[in-house]
Amino acid sequence: MTEVVSENAEVTVLLVDDNPQNLKVLYETLKDKGYRLLIANEGEKALDLAHRHQPEVILLDIMMPEMDGYEVCQRLKANPATSDCAVVFLSALDDLQAKVKGFSLGGADYISKPFQSLEVIARVKTHARVIRLERELQARNRELQGDQARILNSISEGIYGLDEHGTIEFANPAAGVIMRCPVEDLIGRNFFETHFSTATEGQPGLPVYATCREGIAENQRDIRMQRTDETGFPAEYRSTPKHDGDELHGAVVVFRDITVELENERALDEARELVQEQRDQLAHTSRLTTMGEMAAGVAHEVNQPLTAIANYARVSKRMMSVENPNLTVLQETLDKIEAQSHRASEIIRRIRRFVKKPATGKEVLSLSTLLEDTRQFAEVDARNNDGAIELAVPADLPDVLADPIQVQQVALNLIRNALEATRSAESELPVEVSARVTVDGGVRVEVRDHGIGLADDAEEKLFLPFYTTKDEGMGIGLPTCRSLIQAQGGEIGFERPEGGGACFFFTLPVASAPGTTSCPSGTSGAV
Amino acid sequence: MTDIQQTVYVVEDDEAVRDSLELLLKSDGKLVKTYENAAVFLKDYSEKMAGCIVLDIRMPGMDGMELQKKLNEKHSILPIIFVTGHGDVPMAVDAMKEGAVDFIQKPYREEALLEKIEAALEQDLEQRKTLDEKQEIIRRIKSLTPREHEIMDRMIEGQANKVIAIELEISQRTVEIHRSRVMHKMGTHSLAHLVRMVLSVKNLIDAR
Repeated sequence: MTEVVSENAEVTVLLVDDNPQNLKVLYETLKDKGYRLLIANEGEKALDLAHRHQPEVILLDIMMPEMDGYEVCQRLKANPATSDCAVVFLSALDDLQAKVKGFSLGGADYISKPFQSLEVIARVKTHARVIRLERELQARNRELQGDQARILNSISEGIYGLDEHGTIEFANPAAGVIMRCPVEDLIGRNFFETHFSTATEGQPGLPVYATCREGIAENQRDIRMQRTDETGFPAEYRSTPKHDGDELHGAVVVFRDITVELENERALDEARELVQEQRDQLAHTSRLTTMGEMAAGVAHEVNQPLTAIANYARVSKRMMSVENPNLTVLQETLDKIEAQSHRASEIIRRIRRFVKKPATGKEVLSLSTLLEDTRQFAEVDARNNDGAIELAVPADLPDVLADPIQVQQVALNLIRNALEATRSAESELPVEVSARVTVDGGVRVEVRDHGIGLADDAEEKLFLPFYTTKDEGMGIGLPTCRSLIQAQGGEIGFERPEGGGACFFFTLPVASAPGTTSCPSGTSGAV
Repeated sequence: MTDIQQTVYVVEDDEAVRDSLELLLKSDGKLVKTYENAAVFLKDYSEKMAGCIVLDIRMPGMDGMELQKKLNEKHSILPIIFVTGHGDVPMAVDAMKEGAVDFIQKPYREEALLEKIEAALEQDLEQRKTLDEKQEIIRRIKSLTPREHEIMDRMIEGQANKVIAIELEISQRTVEIHRSRVMHKMGTHSLAHLVRMVLSVKNLIDAR
């Protein structure tokens, strides 16, 4: 039926006439024109042949005994298998009535007797062609409809067609699966009453309502939808208004059950939280390790003010033991004691803040303050072990959004590494710490030393856990730094500067810049 | 010699510690001079300095140990008290091997520090006295003629007059005359004392 026909080929023409002479003339006229010709001399036979062969064109005599041409035509048109063929009436009757009746019964054309062979050939050709095109068109149509149905059937999302009151006019099979009932049971129901128990007819504020009534598209997630059996499920839906010209004709709703999705998301969130927790834990451990390594320096640093306080106190006592002590000098000495006690407590405060757990979370902070604080902290070590730190931060450096403790931890780690590299090379040059704004709007902090430089395979190994070049290193410093900086939405890395040594850098997002919200760290729960 | 004023030289990088120590020592009646780092002290150093050094072992730039080495190269006899921090004992031990008098750990008790300073000043005084004596010995040795010096060397080695006379191809009588001149010039009557005197300055003479 759907086979493609070439010009004339396989086109079947049925000739129906009770007069053998007429049949002979028609046959002679049309033979050798490439048609398959069928012949019938009475109505019943014509119907039978038409049913079996579905001819494109039927030349049908009107005046026949038993069953006339009108009845044959009626019955052809009534049968879906033959209804599409072109019926061309043959009639000597040249009156208007007969022609009108023929057309009204579904006839396509007529030919008057006696036949003009050229006319017969031309009309058959035309109608054969029309029918062939029509059949092709229908075949295409069926294919398209089949595709559409297959698409609607295969989509895992439920699809409703609603009228403007929310009545379900269409539902695809997936809608039935999600709703756990046959699609037919959904048709005709009210969308709002079916899915939302709180719905009285046309309650504004319900999902999809605005789409049905006002033509406003919606897209919502994690909406509770009910089934006909009173169970419910979390859904995500998109509703799009149906328009016919300017007129609103309800809505199309695409929805799906997101129970599993939500479960997966919850599991993912939990996993992320765990990772976050472990990272904080590791960071804390790493801070404690750093403090342990700095213990000697810190003790020295605290001992300085304590020593000074003890000395000043003894001097004060001695001043008071004389007659008429000089109160002005005594006052000065006591002031010095006070200043030294503040100095000691400041060191201890800094340590306490550094080893505090958990980290305080992201905040808007000034890098110049933080880096100066870090420099003082690192100098505990530097004084203890030689080495100088130079800080160059422009005054107009924008604030960043980051966790201050973790940034300090990273900066301190890099500075201490740089000091160690400087010592190993017995270099006198200071460690240079600088900060600047990058082209893409972040802030970049660099720690550059003139030390022994980096191994050739540093690119592959330096940030690997448990890789270390130090005798007493554990190899968790840099990997921890990297994970901390990534959690702030920044990057960390290193370069080999000209003139030797090493340059480590990290970047941080600028606070309140548009880029900060889209930073790739969905993992940081500590915002 | 005792008319030289002994001074406590404080080399300490921490301003508060330096200032408080200066006040403390001054209140105890000491002469004090402070330096904020080793290099400044080294620039100021002279052989004439008397007293002792209170030296912080950990300092940026040149640390206490390095300063000690530099001073040793200059044959300084100033006693050094090292001030150490927590956990610096291994360093302090090294410092003692290099000739430091003592060390004291921060934070210290004043009595302990003053005690150590007193001991160091005492030692400085003794060393200076000994040094004066040695310089006298050197002065006397220098007053010997070459021949007398030669004969003294042989006397110290324990050669008998007869052996000396034969080896130098002079009469035994001449040897005896030189010998008595040596004893006179060195201001002693006993060969044992002479030997001790010469040995005590041997390193000083070799160093020259």
